Amino acid sequence: VFFVVPLITLLSLSLQTGSIDTGFRLTWHFGTFWDSISTYHVQFIRSLEYGTIATVIDLLVAYPLAYWIAFHGGRRKTTYLLLVLLPFFVSFVIRTLAWEFILSDQGILFGTLKSLHLLPESFHVLATSTAVVAGIAYNFLPFTVLPLYVSLEKVDRRMVEAAGDLYASKKEAFLRVILPLTIPGIFAAFLLTFVPAVGDYVNASILGGPSTTMIGNIIQSRYLVFFDYPTASALSAILMAGVMIGIFLYARVLGTRSIEEYV
Amino acid sequence: MTDQFDPSRMDPAFWRGLTQRRLSRRQVLKSAGAGAGALGLSAILAACGVKSVVSGNPSASPSPGAVGSPEWWAKQTQAGKLNFANWPFYIDVQGGKHPSIEMFTKDTGIKVNYREVIQDNNSFFATIRPTLAAGQDTGWDIVVLTTNSPVLTKMFNFGWVIPLDQSRMTNFNQYAGPLVKNPSWDPGNKYTMAWQSGITAIGYNAKAIKRPITSVQDLFDPTFKGKVGMMSDNQELGSVGLLAVGVQPAASKPADWQKAADKLKQQKDAGLVRQYYDQSYIDALQNGDTWISMAWSGDISQAVLNGHKDLRLVVPQEGGMLWTDNMMIPQHAQHPVDAMAYMDYVYQPKVQAIIEDYNAYICPVPAAKEVIANDLKDPATANNPLVFPSAEEAARLKPYYAYKSEQELTEWDNLFNAIAQS
Repeated sequence: VFFVVPLITLLSLSLQTGSIDTGFRLTWHFGTFWDSISTYHVQFIRSLEYGTIATVIDLLVAYPLAYWIAFHGGRRKTTYLLLVLLPFFVSFVIRTLAWEFILSDQGILFGTLKSLHLLPESFHVLATSTAVVAGIAYNFLPFTVLPLYVSLEKVDRRMVEAAGDLYASKKEAFLRVILPLTIPGIFAAFLLTFVPAVGDYVNASILGGPSTTMIGNIIQSRYLVFFDYPTASALSAILMAGVMIGIFLYARVLGTRSIEEYV
Repeated sequence: MTDQFDPSRMDPAFWRGLTQRRLSRRQVLKSAGAGAGALGLSAILAACGVKSVVSGNPSASPSPGAVGSPEWWAKQTQAGKLNFANWPFYIDVQGGKHPSIEMFTKDTGIKVNYREVIQDNNSFFATIRPTLAAGQDTGWDIVVLTTNSPVLTKMFNFGWVIPLDQSRMTNFNQYAGPLVKNPSWDPGNKYTMAWQSGITAIGYNAKAIKRPITSVQDLFDPTFKGKVGMMSDNQELGSVGLLAVGVQPAASKPADWQKAADKLKQQKDAGLVRQYYDQSYIDALQNGDTWISMAWSGDISQAVLNGHKDLRLVVPQEGGMLWTDNMMIPQHAQHPVDAMAYMDYVYQPKVQAIIEDYNAYICPVPAAKEVIANDLKDPATANNPLVFPSAEEAARLKPYYAYKSEQELTEWDNLFNAIAQS
């Protein structure tokens, strides 16, 4: 009920026309969808792009990290995991604002470097797409680490030893035993990171510039600033459909088949 | 005679019901699904519509006994408390407290729950709209909305504001200045009293910018590439764009809007604009992220007081945009008498002086000037033309465009939002 009712409301709203003054009536106006796509396709593509880059960065950072904790963490495993999770105890928005403060043009980092003439005066990171992608990657890193850690932890160490006994080098043991066994974990990590990353709008609004608007920002302003509920709903529906298709394709290519093959 | 249980007198249908095979959960769900199918998906979808608002007639005087009529006001009593929703950094602060509010509580016994919850008109309106549409109390007794925002008109048109008790406005009638008394947006102050007015002008960092800033065109100067802050608010952004192409916003035509939008688009495409900001433009200016920015008059004065000595404010030669924030009592407010008491209380010159000495926006009470100069010993604020503008300076301040229809507003919004959000 909690999933289906909002979903139906959303779809219904996207097909209505009217304004907040006169009320919205269901008119099966599919035109909203085409208008939304033609007006905001740039932001859609940008969101998918940012989401993908941030997810890939997260996977590249998180895999070695989770691997190290799972295989070499020893007795302090839980402590290391806690350290990864620690930023979670501070609100998402506050953490992003802290980065804005640290990275500001004359802030503690760049202000110092600039006064030492290590950086040109015009150098800035805020208000660029780099800042937004980095912000997303930073904020969603724990979502990537945890599923990877769980699947790496579950890997039967005897299999790795067996690979060694069969004259596999360490690299081969990793590539042909550990990596395939953790594919489901990678898939879960990808889902948990990519889906919220694409819909994120906090990073773009705090760390972004004039041309880094993501689709989440558009949806937010359509709902709350312009009270244009149909367009906002249509955009949300398109985003959801797009992400779902993406995930489905990904699952077909990498997910389920690999899981069946290897597990 | 007592009603005794007699099986023979029971409705046979009930017996059938009791003896029949029970429906399994699955069957119930299935039949519910079938029922829904029969009803048609469209019916369900249509049921989720957003209802229209029955709009009151703002110009008609309240009928006897209606909310806001003298009879209604006569029946209301003071509750001893009050919930006040205002914008951030908009009232005097000393040691984490608000002296002017404490004075009010001491004088009247009314406790004020002062909250700085309004970041911009639209998103605040979005939070109170559903409650008001459902005919319920928003939890606020006073809210503050701006003249340049379409939201204010919506509040009036929907009949969501309680007409003021004109008999409880003695201080207002005596001390309110010409800018806020009987204003064009609320003739006769039927619904609102001004909190403060202000100017949208240009703020800049005198350490980074050595030459004098005089014109709106300075926001378009390529030497400030990547260091220009613009506002994301459509009304503000559009108006400054119109000033830049030499058109008076209030007298503009849709063709002018397009020209203004083109000008702003060039500015953005040339990489001049750092970001389109909400309230946070002032942080960017203080941090050095921007050197020159669209700015609200009081913010810069407060920033200078807080130690950012390099910041300056200029009203450009093309003129500054004048807006007024208005206090009003939303429908179904629980403490209207307390709200009236407060709204009128701040029009005493000695109270307004305390608020104004901190705020440095345009003071709604000209008589506060004497108090600030003599009692608070702050001649800088008292003689600040941005706080107490002379008639001549006030003439340089421009009104915003008044939308003639919903279509116009949508056209304006789409045009300028496409620049701020892309």
